[in-house]
Amino acid sequence: MTNPSLSDWGLYIHIPFCRSRCTYCDFNTVIGMGEEDHRRYVDALLLQWQRISAIPRGNLVSIFIGGGTPSLLAPDHIDRILEAVRRKLGISLEGVEITMEANPGTVNESRLHKYRLSGVNRLSLGVQAWQNHHLQRLKRAHSVLEAAQGVEAARLAGFDNINLDLIYGLPQQTLAEWEDSLTGVLGLNPDHLSLYQLQVEEGTPLAVQLQRGRASLPAGDMSADMADRGRERLIEAGFVPYEISNYCRPNKHSRHNRLYWTMNPYLALGAGAHGYWNARRWWIIRGVRRYIEDLQAGGNGIAGEERLERLEEMREYIWLGLREEGGFSRNRFRDKFSINPESAFGAVLGGLHRRGLVERQSEYIRLTGRGRDLANYVFREFVGSS
Amino acid sequence: MKQSEIRNFSIIAHIDHGKSTLADRLIEYTGTLSAREMAPQVLDSMELERERGITIKAQAVRLDYEHEGRHYELNLIDTPGHVDFTYEVSRALQACEGALLVIDAAQGVEAQTLANLYLALEHDLTVIPVINKIDLPNANPEKVQEELIEIGLDGTEAIMVSAKLGIGIDETLALVVSRVPPPHGDENAVLRALIFDSRFDSYKGVLVYIRVVDGSLRVGDQIRFMATGASFEVAEIGVFRPHPTTVSSLTTGEVGYFAASIKTVQDTHVGDTVTLAANPAEEPLPGYRPAQPMVFSGLYPVESSDYGRLREALEKLQLNDASLTFEPETSAALGFGFRAGFLGLLHLDVVQERLEREYNLSLITTAPNVVYQVHLTNGEEIRVDNPALMPPSGEIQEIREPMVNASIITPSEYIGAVMELAQERRGIYKDLSYIDKQRAMLNYLLPLGEIMFDFFDQLKSRTRGYASFDYQWSDFVPADLVRLDILINGEVVDAFSMIAHRDKAYQRGRSLVEKLRDLIPRQLFDVPLQAAIGGRVIARETVKAMRKDVLAKCYGGDITRKRKLLEKQKEGKKRMKSVGSVEIPQEAFMAILRVDDK
Ligand SMILES: Nc1nc2c(ncn2[C@@H]2O[C@H](COP(=O)(O)OP(=O)(O)O)[C@@H](O)[C@H]2O)c(=O)[nH]1
Ligand code: SF4
Ligand SMILES: [Mg+2]
Repeated sequence: MTNPSLSDWGLYIHIPFCRSRCTYCDFNTVIGMGEEDHRRYVDALLLQWQRISAIPRGNLVSIFIGGGTPSLLAPDHIDRILEAVRRKLGISLEGVEITMEANPGTVNESRLHKYRLSGVNRLSLGVQAWQNHHLQRLKRAHSVLEAAQGVEAARLAGFDNINLDLIYGLPQQTLAEWEDSLTGVLGLNPDHLSLYQLQVEEGTPLAVQLQRGRASLPAGDMSADMADRGRERLIEAGFVPYEISNYCRPNKHSRHNRLYWTMNPYLALGAGAHGYWNARRWWIIRGVRRYIEDLQAGGNGIAGEERLERLEEMREYIWLGLREEGGFSRNRFRDKFSINPESAFGAVLGGLHRRGLVERQSEYIRLTGRGRDLANYVFREFVGSS
Repeated sequence: MKQSEIRNFSIIAHIDHGKSTLADRLIEYTGTLSAREMAPQVLDSMELERERGITIKAQAVRLDYEHEGRHYELNLIDTPGHVDFTYEVSRALQACEGALLVIDAAQGVEAQTLANLYLALEHDLTVIPVINKIDLPNANPEKVQEELIEIGLDGTEAIMVSAKLGIGIDETLALVVSRVPPPHGDENAVLRALIFDSRFDSYKGVLVYIRVVDGSLRVGDQIRFMATGASFEVAEIGVFRPHPTTVSSLTTGEVGYFAASIKTVQDTHVGDTVTLAANPAEEPLPGYRPAQPMVFSGLYPVESSDYGRLREALEKLQLNDASLTFEPETSAALGFGFRAGFLGLLHLDVVQERLEREYNLSLITTAPNVVYQVHLTNGEEIRVDNPALMPPSGEIQEIREPMVNASIITPSEYIGAVMELAQERRGIYKDLSYIDKQRAMLNYLLPLGEIMFDFFDQLKSRTRGYASFDYQWSDFVPADLVRLDILINGEVVDAFSMIAHRDKAYQRGRSLVEKLRDLIPRQLFDVPLQAAIGGRVIARETVKAMRKDVLAKCYGGDITRKRKLLEKQKEGKKRMKSVGSVEIPQEAFMAILRVDDK
């Protein structure tokens, strides 16, 4: 897996619409929006795109249309967006990875085929679990069967790069159910899999259920067992683990997500999206209505930004890079910051090495197996004041 | 003001019988504060007092009152009711000639009613009984009158009051004037004033609260503290109405405060006598019996760099709280801190909270313990106020623990339940008497260490809230006590050591390591926890090594948020104390408090 060149960049486009709200979700998304709202939103998004004046000089290597549920947008809208990108940059999007997130139950073959014709060449589907009772409990808007049908339809529509998401550590989930979920998704023969441990985010219905004792998370070390079992199963099935939660068939890694971990530039389009370029991180207005109003009033949609000091940027580079299975390249670090990671963080890295949490492999510094289990412990060494 | 027109009095009562509310009414009735300025329990000025609805500090306020065409100056001192603050009450009483004893018309005489009455009698005060809350539907003033007669007061002359509705207020004030004797100091003698409290003000320095006994004090006077010999020029004199209001002098019998740019806290001692530097009095006034702290706890700053600030804060609090003691100590686990002595647990709680709130300190408090008298085999006798410093059992001849005389007043149907509780706490039965037909008073000798934690809560819950409780210091008595140590990762953690009765030590040790197992977060490696008595391990638990600590997702939109989350976790870890290589959260150090014996 070769690293993106330092100047390669990506474009993230946020589509904040869903059919219903999943209990664990704290993404920027709204429900109950109709065709007219979609149109006004995409209009605003195109305005925002037009008003972006500075474009990175390197190659655009990836576009990621995430959400929410982008597949709720009619193919025409997706087409308008991608067309606008082509026009403004004056390039063909031929070699560019263009991912779209979709939810089973919102797509069929003909709709998917239209997305494909507009240029989308990678599809990410939220399967989450292989038991309808879990899907219902999570308030997912689809069944297991619909998930399987969605994958089938995507294949028929010409997608040869498909990711599926699964969640483990669900309330009342058993190890056997998790095994079944793994077997189920492997049977769909995806090109890429993300296995996420359930995160309980403050203020979500799930958090409330747990507080009130109406649901309980798997006891003790069960989630850890699920994580280990997931990794084993996928490796056995020929998948390559390349990041803490991500696995792929050889060469089918997400080029887009890797840009985040290698700290390449990415621009942000749409409500709540985040961009990063030249040590600056900015974010777009979260509220859909406020976003639209801001653009209609001639604004650029930006809600806030932070500047990373050089030291901060280096530290972030390390902990983000360590998320990747292979770790981060010392040479690339030196190319970007003109200093060796050991010169900048020798004591910290040395300490982590002594505790058996990081290791060096030729020009890469990476987490050991134990380091992967305790990744946050390692990452905390690279944030905040010491 | 002529002494014959001054009355200094105090209000004493069992908790919640309505002292503060009565004080409010007196302040209002005399026009000291207008209705608009009034707030309920106006004298409870500390934030903490208002929140908890209790009076912690004695408060003084001057009231102007006209009676039968004459003008009087009444100085009212409101006092705390909780047993921990008996010392405050006692000091306040020394500045008075009379006391209003408030009794709740529905509750009747309670344990602290008696304790406070005896205290007032010890100070030779005139006691005026006030039966309050006569507006309550279940008020039974006649029964209270009988109870008063039973305890030796003239119940028939008690004033019938509803502090809530303002009934009987004028009568109360009139009786204060007619029954409380005026002060009888020597107006022509040299100044002698008793310091009954003090407080630090960042602009004016130490504010010294005094009662002038002889002579008078003026702005510009050069004064001297008789105990310390320190000398200052009086810059400001004031009285409380109840807000500090400046006046030009305080004459014989009056109560007020002065400021004299006193910057060093050590110069003023509560109980000391103030006199004039140029013409000092020969004899100081009798001071106070120093209060003996019986409960000790280690106070450590979470940030070791706050040690100096903690010392300053303790010094300032001590000014205002003469019963607080402290001296530096070092703990292998917690670093540099102080071993502080308190009158009881509520006192400790209040001090800790004031340190955190008013001085913005973040503290680790070790579980409190009582002080022990230890007779060594070599004939020496030592006092041990820190369990970690208890000598090895081989060197000990005998350990003596502090005992208190406890009186419990309870409806007679709960006598059995109360006796059972007292027995569980190793109490020694003394006697039982009846206050009236339904209520009995039980006297026990109890180890202070056994009533420190949840005795009062237990008493309340086993008597449906009806029992009341008070105690006085008794004596040190030999007991079969052992030192219980906790080892974390093989090392004794001094801050966890405790003294326990041999019969209870095993169970304590077990429950404590179980508790700690749940409180200590998982570390990179397995952490053994052990409880040991005299070097012999009696219980063992393990905090299993952390399996996983991973953020599942981290994409473009999350990075800032995830970084903040990691930063927050890191801050949380920093607030833990690292002992050996094990990180221990602050709550763990208080865990001993919540370990029960069953
Ligand atoms: N009904 C009634 N309640 C009263 C009266 N006096 C005080 N209280 C209430 O009794 C409670 C305790 O009063 P407080 O003055 O704080 O008592 P302290 O602890 O003795 O200072 C408060 O809820 C008061 O409102 C009264 O005359 N009648
Ligand atoms: S589909 Fe995804 S974005 Fe939409 S509510 Fe569910 S989890 Fe949230
Ligand atoms: Mg009160």
